[in-house]
Amino acid sequence: MALLEASSLDAGYGDLQILDDVDLGVDAGEYVTIVGPNGAGKSTVMKSIFGLTAYMGGSITFDGEPIHGKRPEEIIRTGIGYVPQNDNVFPSLSVIENLEMGAYILDEVPEDRLEWIFDRFPILEERKSQKAGTMSGGQQQMLAMGRALMLEPDLLMLDEPSAGLAPDLVDDMFDRIDRINDDGTAVLLVEQNAKEALRRCDRGYVLVQGGNRYMDTGEALLGDEQVRQDFLGG
Amino acid sequence: MSAGTERGRFADVSIQEVIGWLLLAVVGLLVLDLVRQVLVGELPLGRLWAFTWNGIVDSLYIGLAAIGLSMTYSILRFANFSHGDLITTGAFTGWTAAYLVGGIGIAELSSRLLLRADGGAQPGAVGMDVVSAPIAIVLGLIVAAALTILVALAIDRLVYRKLRDASGITLLIASVGVALALRYIIALFYTTDTRGVVASSPQWETPAFVPIETINLHEATLVISALSLIVGVHLLLQYTKLGKSMRAMSDNKDLALITGIPTERVIFATWVIGAGLAGVAGYLIVLDRGQVTINLGWFLLLLIFAAVILGGIGSIYGALAGSLVIGLTINLSLVWIPSDLNEIAAFTLMIVVLIFRPDGLFKGVETA
Repeated sequence: MALLEASSLDAGYGDLQILDDVDLGVDAGEYVTIVGPNGAGKSTVMKSIFGLTAYMGGSITFDGEPIHGKRPEEIIRTGIGYVPQNDNVFPSLSVIENLEMGAYILDEVPEDRLEWIFDRFPILEERKSQKAGTMSGGQQQMLAMGRALMLEPDLLMLDEPSAGLAPDLVDDMFDRIDRINDDGTAVLLVEQNAKEALRRCDRGYVLVQGGNRYMDTGEALLGDEQVRQDFLGG
Repeated sequence: MSAGTERGRFADVSIQEVIGWLLLAVVGLLVLDLVRQVLVGELPLGRLWAFTWNGIVDSLYIGLAAIGLSMTYSILRFANFSHGDLITTGAFTGWTAAYLVGGIGIAELSSRLLLRADGGAQPGAVGMDVVSAPIAIVLGLIVAAALTILVALAIDRLVYRKLRDASGITLLIASVGVALALRYIIALFYTTDTRGVVASSPQWETPAFVPIETINLHEATLVISALSLIVGVHLLLQYTKLGKSMRAMSDNKDLALITGIPTERVIFATWVIGAGLAGVAGYLIVLDRGQVTINLGWFLLLLIFAAVILGGIGSIYGALAGSLVIGLTINLSLVWIPSDLNEIAAFTLMIVVLIFRPDGLFKGVETA
C-alpha cells in the first residue's frame, strides 16, 4: 500500500480551483518528483496535502488514514514534513531555535535527533546561535530541511529547494536529498530543475494545468520524446 | 560644473528631507545649548538630573505599555487603539482593589467600591501609600494585571477573534470602537471626574554614602516593578518555549502554522502578557502621579505609539529603546518649553526619525 495516496484530488484557493482530478502516490522510502511548467499547480499539490488549500473533492490518505480536510497542525503529527519554497525559516530566531520550533509538538527537544540533523548538516551546528535571517540562501534551505526533519517524518515534501541557489550549490542540495532518502525517508520533490530531479528520483509526475499528464520512472520520462520536447526544453 | 547638474542634484533632495535636516539642525542646536547652559551654570546639575530621572521614570511606564502594543502589532498584526484604555482599566480596577482592602473599617464601602466617585474616603485618611498600606498596594497591582487580562481576553473573544483573518485596517477601526466602549463603560461606574487616590509618597532618607538625599518610595516602587517585569518578559521571550513560539509567530505566521505551533494559544499568551503589562502600567502611573482619570490611557496612547514607531514597529526591544528616547525627550524639553507643550518635542523627534529611518531606529537590528 502506498504511503501517500491522492486520488481524483480537486483543490484550490477560495473559489478558484487549481487542481483537477490529480492522482499521485508515494510509497514508503520512495523518491518522487513532480515537474511541469510554471503555474501547473505543483506547489498547490504540496499545500493541498498539508491542508493549506481549500479542499474541493477526491481523497488523500497517508498511511491508510484519510487526511484531506485536516488542519496543518494535525497533519504534522501524522508524519509528513513540509518545506515551503519561500520564507521557510524564522529569520529572527537562531538556528537552534528554528530547529526547536520544528519539534514544537514534542514535550522535549529530541537531542538524538538534533545530533542526527547536525551530522547531515554540519553547518547548522557550526552556526547554532546565528540568526537564521543572516545566513545565505543555501544555508537557510538546509535549516528549513533540518527543521522539517526534526519530527522524523516518513515523508518529506520539498518545494523547489534549489530555487535561488548558486549553480555549484544545486548539486550539493540534490546530494543531500539523496542521502535523506537513502536513510529511509520518502521524498516528494517539486523542482524547476526538472532534468536533474528526474535523473535522481525513482518516479516522476508531469503536471500540466492542474492535472497530471504523465507518470513513469524518472528515466523513462527523460527518455520520452514528447515529454522532452514539451516540458524539458528538448 | 554646469547649472544643469546643480539643479539635478537639488531635485534629489525631497521636501521631507529638507524639513528633516532643518529639524535635525534644531535638535543639534538644542543639544549644544544644553551643554552650554550646564557649563555656564544657567542650568544647575541638580535640575538636569531631575529631568533625566523623570525621563527614565516616564520611559519605564511607557515601555511597559509599549511592549504590549508592539506584541499585538507583530503577532495579531494590527495597531490596537484600545491598548490605552486597557491601561485605564488597570488603573481603575487595581486602585479599587487597593481601596477595598486598604480602606476596610475606615471608609464607606460605596466610596471604596467606586474609587471616591462620591468624594469620600480621602487618600490621606485611608492611608494610601506604600508604607501605610503595603499589602493593599501590592494586592492592587496584582488585581490590576489580572482584571485587565480578563477584560482583554473577553474583548478578544467578543470582537477580535471573529476578525482573525480581516485586514489590519478593519481590526484597527474595530479597536477604536473597543477603546471608546471600554472607556465609557468605565466612566459609567466611576464618572469622568479626575481625582486624587494616592496619598503623598513617603520619602526615604538615604544613608550618608548614597549621593541622593531622599528617595520617593512610590517612584522607587514604579521603577523596581517595571524593571523586573521588563527583565521577566525578556527572559520569557528568549528562553522559554512559549516565548520562542511567540517570536516565531511574529516572524512568520504561516510557517508557525505548518510547524505545528498552536497559533490561538500564542495569541492567548500575547493578550495575557500585553494586557497584564498595560494594566500594571496604568496602576503604577497612578501611584506615581497620585491622580486617576478616565482619559489616562487614551492621552498616553499617542506617546506609546510614538515610542513603538521610533523603535521599529513590532520589535519589543525597539519599543523599549523608543520609550527611553520619548521619556527623556519630553522631560529634557522642559529646559526650553512649558510642560503642557512638551509632547511637541516627542512628536517632532519622531518625525525626524521617520524621515531618515522610515522603519524606525532599530528595525533590522533586533526583532522579537
